[in-house]
Amino acid sequence: MTEIKAELVGNLWKIVVEVGQAVEEDDTLMILESMKMEIPITTPASGTVTQILVREGEVVQEGQTVAIID
Amino acid sequence: MTEARDTPGLDELTAALADRRARSLAMGGAERIAQQHARHKLTARERIDLLFDEGTFVEFGLLAHQHSMSGAVTEPERTPADGVVTGEGLVDGRRVYCAAYDFTVMAGSMGMIGEQKVARLRRKAMLNRLPMIWLLDSAGARIQEAAGSTFAGSGALFFEQVQMSGVVPQVAAMLGPCAAGTAYIPGLADFVPMVKETSSMSLGGARLVKAATGEETTDHDMGGSQVHCYVSGVGDLEVDDDPACIAAVREFLSFLPSNNREAPPRRETADRRDRRIDDVEKLVPTNPRAAYDMRGVVKRLADDGHVFEIKPTFARNIITALVRFNGQSAGIVANQPMIKGGALDIDAADKAARFIWLCDAFNIPLVFLQDVPGFVVGTEVERQGIIRHGAKMLFAVSEATVPKVTVVLRKAYGAGYFVMCGRGYEPDTLVAWPAAEISVMGPEGAVDIIFTKQIAAADDPATARAEYAAAVRQTIDPFIAASWAMVDDIIDPAETRRVIIDALEGAETKRQRRAWRKHGVPPV
Repeated sequence: MTEIKAELVGNLWKIVVEVGQAVEEDDTLMILESMKMEIPITTPASGTVTQILVREGEVVQEGQTVAIID
Repeated sequence: MTEARDTPGLDELTAALADRRARSLAMGGAERIAQQHARHKLTARERIDLLFDEGTFVEFGLLAHQHSMSGAVTEPERTPADGVVTGEGLVDGRRVYCAAYDFTVMAGSMGMIGEQKVARLRRKAMLNRLPMIWLLDSAGARIQEAAGSTFAGSGALFFEQVQMSGVVPQVAAMLGPCAAGTAYIPGLADFVPMVKETSSMSLGGARLVKAATGEETTDHDMGGSQVHCYVSGVGDLEVDDDPACIAAVREFLSFLPSNNREAPPRRETADRRDRRIDDVEKLVPTNPRAAYDMRGVVKRLADDGHVFEIKPTFARNIITALVRFNGQSAGIVANQPMIKGGALDIDAADKAARFIWLCDAFNIPLVFLQDVPGFVVGTEVERQGIIRHGAKMLFAVSEATVPKVTVVLRKAYGAGYFVMCGRGYEPDTLVAWPAAEISVMGPEGAVDIIFTKQIAAADDPATARAEYAAAVRQTIDPFIAASWAMVDDIIDPAETRRVIIDALEGAETKRQRRAWRKHGVPPV
């Protein structure tokens, strides 16, 4: 199980994967809007998205878990 | 009246010498050497063979070994060379000093005699103004010799290392453990490569930690390369094995002069100085919000695409790398939009400040590639002390008197523009790409501060806000900065390599003196 954490505080702009979806290492899961940039949140491991813990438009904090990959 | 004695002949004496030498050269013996190899580690002497140009290493202290404090010889067979091989030789034709700790002798522990040998090396390095290399694979101080309050007289090794800092390059290669206070050897060195799996460093080894605090851990878990090259930033480069580690040491030295009074060595290249970068559009998206990998740009700018990154896996939102431009060593400081949008945080500021100080100390010009949305803001980073960490980068870039060249690729916002050697920080040349955005802050942030009342009073606040933002956006334009002569030129991105080389050559004779002071008071 891999917890995906936001590395920066920001507005969660887009979620580009769904629960149950298979992902490969380095795939983009979500895009964070912060510091005038679109910052991709990627997965460090391949697997399946088992949980998405945030909603689009939500503000996420640095270190907050946003998804779980199994 | 003298008594006739049966003195040994020279043959006998030299045979005895050869025998002693052979026993010392055998290090901790065949069994311990086999154990060392089984741990995927080379011996101290094998490492020395890899480090130095063939046949150039001259050793001293081969016949040294442990003594008791009373001067009585204790078990010389157990401590050949007293566990550390010391000497000098040539690396790419230039002389360096080296201490290689021998793990096959009492776990490479640092004994009194061994430390005297290394102290002589440090002294030679300073007298002759030549680099000092430690190949570390040591359990730490030899407690049998050091326990007790004669400890009161020890510690000069770090004092000396501090005096050496910025005078001669210091490299601490981590090829095994380096526990306890001796971890300050890498802590004070300029370059610290770490071998994956086998190396570790920590102020207290696992056994000491258990005794002092009760915490259960291992040397590897606590201080392996997965900690120091990724999280703590004490390590500069994670490498796969001993040969790769020694190769990294040689490579690092190839960019540096032997001391702070010399220029770095040149390496001639067939790479054309005016080589264009024709795929810029593929590398750098025009959408200013989109991320990309700055490493692609660095690689295309450098001679032969050769880039030696320092701390590539730590604070990846900034890139610090040694490269060459038309044969001349240079240090690149580049924002990395792919990580955290290229925004600067405490680790990025520390990493960049340290690298700038290194380059400035050793006469290596600096090239700044800006694409920075600013420093990260918010409660979390304030608690981390972003102001004092960011101030280190301001300090370093302001102090640096080597040639400085700044290229603004895209974003240059707020204090990010300052610390990345904006106009106020005396770059010898400052140029921008045509899409550069130089401003105190982005349009959206600015309107909410400048036009708060007007937006609130508008019939349609959303539209009003968008209109004000568009108006502010009009003012963010590199041609405005160029028209005020605040940037020296707007350049075709494809010509960036030539522009950097021209700028570096133009600043070759730069000599800058600051007002006398004992030293500044750097934020830490």
